[in-house]
This record gives sequence, structure tokens and C-alpha cells, in this order.
Amino acid sequence: MRHEIMARPAATVLKVNLDQGESLTCEVGAMIAMSSGITVETTSRQRGGSGGIMKGLKRMFSGESFFLNHFTAQQPNQTIYLGPSLMGDVMSHPLDSATLIVQGSSWLASDPGIVIDTSWQGFGKALFSGESMFWVKCSGTGNLFVNSFGAIYEVDVNGHYTVDTGHIVAFEDSLTFKIGKAGQSLIGSFLGGEGLVCKFEGQGKLFCQSHNPPSFGKLLGPKLRPR
Amino acid sequence: MEAEIRDKPSFAHIHVQLNPGESIIAESDAMASMSSDIQMSTRWNGGFFQAVLRRIFGGESLFVNEFTTSTGGSIVITQPLPGDMECIELDGNTMYLQPGAYIACEPTVNLGLGWAGFASFIGGEGLFRLKVSGKGKVWFGAYGGIFEREITDEYIVDTGHLVGYEPTISLKVGMSGGIFSSFFSGEGLVMRIKGPGKIYLQSRSIGGLTAWVNARIY
Repeated sequence: MRHEIMARPAATVLKVNLDQGESLTCEVGAMIAMSSGITVETTSRQRGGSGGIMKGLKRMFSGESFFLNHFTAQQPNQTIYLGPSLMGDVMSHPLDSATLIVQGSSWLASDPGIVIDTSWQGFGKALFSGESMFWVKCSGTGNLFVNSFGAIYEVDVNGHYTVDTGHIVAFEDSLTFKIGKAGQSLIGSFLGGEGLVCKFEGQGKLFCQSHNPPSFGKLLGPKLRPR
Repeated sequence: MEAEIRDKPSFAHIHVQLNPGESIIAESDAMASMSSDIQMSTRWNGGFFQAVLRRIFGGESLFVNEFTTSTGGSIVITQPLPGDMECIELDGNTMYLQPGAYIACEPTVNLGLGWAGFASFIGGEGLFRLKVSGKGKVWFGAYGGIFEREITDEYIVDTGHLVGYEPTISLKVGMSGGIFSSFFSGEGLVMRIKGPGKIYLQSRSIGGLTAWVNARIY
């Protein structure tokens, strides 16, 4: 499986070359175009594996779809183009018996060797971080594709690092985060518009998005007429 | 301080590296992420009355955040809109920024509020404008790409596209053509800008986006 990421970072498109017998698991609705030698199978299950209705429901809680699309090449040298619905970036992250925690709705596609599960982050974090209660937990071996609103930048965390809510895309499971205040005083943090932030701890890679969908929505929303 | 604007022009954001003892001022909610050795403190955007005036008339926030470090650290600053950013270095001169355009500045820069006039208000640009003066770097952003023009005489800009300008510039509102073409050309009112001086324009306008979306909401 070879891939190419084009038109970064605003109108990013992911092109994947599949050889006969190779397959790719994608988010529902992400396919833009593909060769005619690729077949689609829509299930709530992992390819050739476990999962069923419960897994699908859990996925819905994490901001993804109930179903997964499995694209399999029946002929040699097939291509598929994928694009997320929002303007933004796509990155690839190869996993080698590792785990990446992805923000709900940021998972785009992955190698069938990666298990897509949900990770419970707790009520407190969900209530205060503005993120979903469940996160997408991707573990296994193979390539993983993640999308964002805005450009993705990578941070090597060694110790502590602070991210504003709404800017997390994904992080390695060697990192943990807590919800905290941005400044020294809680009132100051809210008046300053930063409010609560996610404080990461540990050693590992963290991927952030440059833009924040709720901030854009807050600016645009009042200017739209009610339906 | 070392600062770099990345991913221009669609999703510009600033990566800032602060040396020990340095600080940067940023608009409310502009921080995307930062290393833990940076402290954030919130203060009035100017004085109390200045801040209140700016909030009501300038469309800016009541508060700004100051990010300081005693040991050095890095911070990423962004804007809510997808678009471009520009950095200007002030050396005792003044620049006017449209409401919402300001993102960040060095602490040596003064933020003030200036009366922009009724022409600016009718042109959809607000009664007041943000006045940045002093010495140091200022970062501002826009929706769409930013491009600058040096104008010597009169220049015509569609409403909602002006981002910033030098104090030598004066603004007037006018019609783009005769009454008929002004109403039916889709241009309507335009800003008549008189130089000499420098202006910064944005390639898209929020008004244009919301009008497009509003026409499609049923």
C-alpha cells in the first residue's frame, strides 16, 4: 500500500494505491473517487474480526459513524481518493504495535491491521474539555490517516505541555492529560477567553490542529439567520 | 523572540519561541498550545475604559493575555478564521487595524482605540478602529489571503475587505458607479480610500460567506 497526501493543508486529499487483495478501512462518506476494481463492504465490524453492534454504537458516541467502509482491491494497481468533509489537513502516522488516541471525528482511514476501538476519557473531561466522552483508540500495526480542521503540527512532549480545548487531534498513549486552568487564577483564565485547557503529561508525540472549529462557529453563528 | 508564521495563506498560525524573560501579548482565546514553562496572565485590554470602549465599539475583547516565561518556552498562537496572517514591525509609527484583525504583539507595542468615523461605519468597518503604535512586532490576520498595496491617490475597495491601513489614509464611502450599477452590479457601497499610504486587504470577506450561507439555509 502506497499513499500520497496532496493539496495540504487547506483542501487536502489522500490518494492510496491498493494492490490486489489489499484493503483499507475508511470513515463512511470519505471516498471521493476510486478505480472500478475496488469493492466496498459496509459493516459495523472490524475487517475479518470482532466487533458488532456494540462497537458500532460506541463509535457513534466518539463522534464517528456506526458503520465502517472496507475497500478491497480485486485487481492489481487500484487507486482510491479520500477527503474529509471539513477544510483541513490530513496526516499519516504509521503504527508498529503501538496505540494512538484520536479525537472523535478525526479518524479518516487505516490499514486493516489496526483495530479501531473507543477509549473512555471520563465524564469530567468530556464535560469540561469540550471534547467527546469517547475517543477513538487505534492500535496495531499499519498506516493510520487522521484529518483535522486547520493545519496539523506535531509536538514532542517531554514532561508537561498545555493545549487549548478544541486543538487536540491525536496523541500517543504514553501521554495522559488532565483538565486545568490556563492561567494562575480560574477567573483570569475565563476572562482571558482561554478558560480550561488540557494539560498533558508524559513522553510522546502529540498532534494539534492550528484552528479550532468551535471558535470559528462562535464567530460565524451570530451572523447566520435562524432557520 | 523568534516567530514564524506557518501554513500561509489558508490556515496561518504563529509558532513563537520565547527566550528567558521575554513575553508576548495575544488576543483573547488566541493560544492554541504552549509549553508548561510559560505563564499566562490576563489583563484589561489597555485601561478599563479603553477596554470597555474597545469591546463595545471596536469588536475586540475586553481582555488580552500576556504570556511570560522565566526559563524560555514555546507557544502557538492562532486566529478563529481560516486565513492568512501578516507581521509588521513598528518603529515609532502607527497603524490602524480593523475590528477583529489584531492577533498578537510584543509588549512594547501600545494598543489604543481610534475614532474611525461614520464613513467607516456605513462601509461596514465599524465606528472605531484599533490603533497600534510604539516599537515592536504586531501580528494581524484576515479571512482569506492578505495582500498589500501602496496607494498614492484615490483607490476603491469593496466593503468588508479592508484589514489595516496607515494613518495617512482617509476613508470615504461612495457608490461603485451610478445608482443603477451600484445596486445591480452586486458591489453596492464601496470604500473610497485616499492616500498616500499603505493598505492591507483580504481576499475574502466574512460578510460574503455569511450571505452565501444564509441564502442556502431553509
